[in-house]
Amino acid sequence: MTRIYLHPLPIRIWHWVNALGFIILIITGAQIRYPNYFQLMSFEWAVKIHSWLGFILLANYCIWLFYYLLTLKIKIYIPPLHHPIAFAKKALRQAKFYGFGIMVGDENPHHPMPDDKFNPMQQVSYLMIMAALIPVQIITGLFLWDPNLFGPAVNLIGGIQIADMIHIFLWIFFSAFIIVHFYLATLGHTPMAHIIAMFKGYEELHEEHGHGHDEEGHGHGGGPEHAEEHGHSA
Amino acid sequence: MDKKRITVLFLFVAFLIVPICVYAAKSADETQLCLACHGDRALTKKLMNKEILSLYVNSSDFRQSVHAKGGCTGCHSDISMDNHPVVKKIKSKKDYSLSKSKQCTVCHTDAELRKRLPIHSSLAAKGTCVECHGFHSIKSSAVQKTGVPENQYCMTCHSRQLVMKMKSGETLSVLVNESALRKSVHAKLKCTECHSGFSMTQHPMRTHDSKRAYSLQISKNCWKCHEKASQDYESSVHLDMLKRGNSKAPSCTDCHGDHAVVSTKKYRDIGITSCNKCHSDMNSSYEASMHGKAWKKGDEKAPTCASCHSAHNVESTLTTKIKEGCLKCHKEAAKAHTSWLKNPPLTSSSFAEAHFDVVSCVACHSPGAARAIYLSINDRKTGEPLPEEEILKILETDSEGLMQKIDTNADGSIDAKEIWDLFVLLYKKGTTTVFMGKMDVTKATEAHLIGGKAEATRDCEKCHHPNAEFFKDIFLVMKKADGNTRLLQAKQDVLNSIYTIIPARKFYALGSTSITLFDIVFVVALIGGIAVPIAHITFRVITSPLRSLRRMGKGGKK
Repeated sequence: MTRIYLHPLPIRIWHWVNALGFIILIITGAQIRYPNYFQLMSFEWAVKIHSWLGFILLANYCIWLFYYLLTLKIKIYIPPLHHPIAFAKKALRQAKFYGFGIMVGDENPHHPMPDDKFNPMQQVSYLMIMAALIPVQIITGLFLWDPNLFGPAVNLIGGIQIADMIHIFLWIFFSAFIIVHFYLATLGHTPMAHIIAMFKGYEELHEEHGHGHDEEGHGHGGGPEHAEEHGHSA
Repeated sequence: MDKKRITVLFLFVAFLIVPICVYAAKSADETQLCLACHGDRALTKKLMNKEILSLYVNSSDFRQSVHAKGGCTGCHSDISMDNHPVVKKIKSKKDYSLSKSKQCTVCHTDAELRKRLPIHSSLAAKGTCVECHGFHSIKSSAVQKTGVPENQYCMTCHSRQLVMKMKSGETLSVLVNESALRKSVHAKLKCTECHSGFSMTQHPMRTHDSKRAYSLQISKNCWKCHEKASQDYESSVHLDMLKRGNSKAPSCTDCHGDHAVVSTKKYRDIGITSCNKCHSDMNSSYEASMHGKAWKKGDEKAPTCASCHSAHNVESTLTTKIKEGCLKCHKEAAKAHTSWLKNPPLTSSSFAEAHFDVVSCVACHSPGAARAIYLSINDRKTGEPLPEEEILKILETDSEGLMQKIDTNADGSIDAKEIWDLFVLLYKKGTTTVFMGKMDVTKATEAHLIGGKAEATRDCEKCHHPNAEFFKDIFLVMKKADGNTRLLQAKQDVLNSIYTIIPARKFYALGSTSITLFDIVFVVALIGGIAVPIAHITFRVITSPLRSLRRMGKGGKK
């Protein structure tokens, strides 16, 4: 069994603060919107918690951004657009794996390494989330937090109701995403493997005895030998 | 030839001069004779209305008067040296002066008066010559004016019961209350500074349609000095109403009076009394408010109507922000509200201001008042609400047909789709609009019932809740031509529809303007988010024998 240091400490802190923040933001957001369906807390408290967490996650986003920019590791998020066909093929192969291969016991075509952490589907979705959706959610959140302070910017997008519409759409997206994200995180060699790795930093690469690399290519460029059945980084 | 001509000329001059000399000599005798009796101060006559008319004539005054040469009978033509009626029935002094004034027109003919100073002709018709010019001591007007201050000159006539007749048949008293004028802030002004076009030599004849038309016209004279006030008035609902033909709307003199203009700083009650002339229905609620109570107690700082509504740029309270009026005194209101109305983690007053933009102060500070949401249709370019007449013009309909035009399903209230259709229709006609919302009290009287700070609503969920009490009534609001407000009832859920996202894109209240369709999308996404893992797990469970077989196969191979 080989261990690779996949998740550096700043990223682990960022991830779990983000995870907890997202869940509480989703819940307080729902509380603000649906006080007639459930009453976990008062409106005032829901707004208070939601606002505080919004700023915490803004700071947290900055940690992520600075870490990845300063270490230049941001490139793991950038799909190899100079090889679009090869990338598309890889993405298709990954989708095929989740949809079919995983059922019949194929090996995960992607083997996460520190410099090649994400499979093509993760790369595209995480890039979209980190570069667009979270910033947009933070910005629209700021607009709603104080529409007057950001008045000119709010007017630029049409009005506060438009800001709310975007914020709600992303809230809906993140609510669904977090469920799927959590499920995908359980698709390691054991259900807790990826989750533990996100705490400890080390991903254990499980090698099955006598299991050679079969039909699929490796794509991780000379990393440790990989024998995990469907290794996945969520 | 020359001698003959000189003789003719002499005879002609003699023919002219002799009668004058004879007349003068006769007049002198006659005057002397009349004054023999009328020089007695005790000579009086009891009139029919029991007034006592003095028949005394001051001899020296008369001799110095412009009419001295005409003698007494020049004016009193019914009396002569040979004939002095003993009994002459005179109703009253007024009646007598009227009849004597008619005598003036024998010499001072209407044509002559019209030519010299037209106003005389209309005044003479009313027979009041003696009131202005006096009688026995009458001087030529040039002498009369010499050394007389202008105001005094005007008051010669205008201190009397003169009236001006309007085309409408109304009569306007042009009597100026001199003592009130002297006490007014304009006491030091000359009459002609306001009444431009008039002077000691000029008194144009004017005719006005009505008293109202005259007061509106004369108000414009105030603008010459009161530039700032006039600029403010330009943007007021009052002038707007006037322009749109509502002659009841006030101009300067309606509030400030005419000649008895007082200092508004010293007499602040003008900010109540003048408004009450039209808006008396608001007075009881004002008096019941903490503002009215403070005013009654004599608190000089207590607000009057004008304090909040402004004195000159009075605007409609529904379609514009009246909060500026409140903030004149409550300067720190935004900051004060941050003690509870804050957006953590910061305490920024702009958050309170965001509330002030869409919630009228009284919506929270008038406890017990009914509230509603008012959506005004603003022009995106100007940011100003479109008045009803402009909307009618764009929609090519009339006031009666407006609701029918908007409420296409004719169910009596406007739904979200109809708001969208209206927005699109206005857009197609070249006007991009923003339906701007504002929460306000529904009855103007309740707006004035402002209570103490402790009574104000602080319950966020009164607004920020899907079933928010204050969001139950929603109206489209527009300013009517007569200055009133037109309200069109909208359905309760209009602000929860995707149809109003774009039209009402600048109006948003957390919790209460949530779009229902997005809730459905949320539920679908949530179900989808859960369904994907469940389906995947299910397939993995179903296919687990396949994987076992494969592993076994691979193991077998080995």
